[in-house]
Amino acid sequence: MKTIIKTSILLLAAVSMTLAQGFKIKASGEQTFNFEDKRNQVKFFSTTPLEDITGISNDVKGKVTLDVADVKNMKGSIIISVASIKTAIDLRDEHLRSDNWLSADAYPEITFAVKNVGDVKVLEDNKIEAKVTGDFTVRGVTKETVAVVTLTYLDASEQTAQYAPGDLLGVQAKLNIKLSDFNVNNMIIGQKVSEDIEITVTLRGSNAK
Amino acid sequence: MNEKQKYVLTAALILIAAVFLWWLASGGEILSKDGVWVETELSELDKALGLEPQKVYQEKFILGLLPHTAVISGIIVVVSAILFFTFKSKKTKEKK
Repeated sequence: MKTIIKTSILLLAAVSMTLAQGFKIKASGEQTFNFEDKRNQVKFFSTTPLEDITGISNDVKGKVTLDVADVKNMKGSIIISVASIKTAIDLRDEHLRSDNWLSADAYPEITFAVKNVGDVKVLEDNKIEAKVTGDFTVRGVTKETVAVVTLTYLDASEQTAQYAPGDLLGVQAKLNIKLSDFNVNNMIIGQKVSEDIEITVTLRGSNAK
Repeated sequence: MNEKQKYVLTAALILIAAVFLWWLASGGEILSKDGVWVETELSELDKALGLEPQKVYQEKFILGLLPHTAVISGIIVVVSAILFFTFKSKKTKEKK
């Protein structure tokens, strides 16, 4: 009986170790990364036969906490300032901030809050790709959205110190949203602005306290 | 409308359609821009962090429809109009 219990425990441990997918790096345990780098960027891309529009924000902040050995437990959120989004045309930026579009005064932030992490693929010892499901909020409307995220972990070194003290985490993510899901309804959607917006997130974070 | 005028009109319409397609294929932007996005080169550390190149905003005024579409289409319209009326006059004179 004891042998069966021992074997079961060992098997469970082996299975859980196999299921736990994380980085194979020097760092261990739970790490919290702050994204405060001014080069962090979120791109919004709309394409229609009439016009391609790229909106970019460099006012992106956030924080994630993850277990190095098992990224499935990742928690955190990213916040984008609506007023900071530029499309290269000042007049269009004004329209974007208006009540007809993103209502920047009433809803100054776009947020993505991580809920769960799935489909984890270890690409390299320090690089992982995963599907991150989170609550995406625009204009005060929240919708569950899936982002394909690549996380790259760099242990602190002379090279990483050029950016920030501590270990660094690179986040490259892509997600797609529909404007109508967030009550952004406008006559020119489908003509000059696409209903489907592709969002690309590029972040550098440091775990220095 | 005589035969030559029809040719002028058809040629003008084909040329304007071609210019429109060219404009559409090159982005089809209607509004003029106050700036452009320029892609930056990735640093070695950014590459190590698996990041994609970023874009930085640079102030630069770029006309939307102009100069390509509107100028070329305008020239086509003016030349076609001149030819159209020239051929009309010639025919009128021939009739007289």
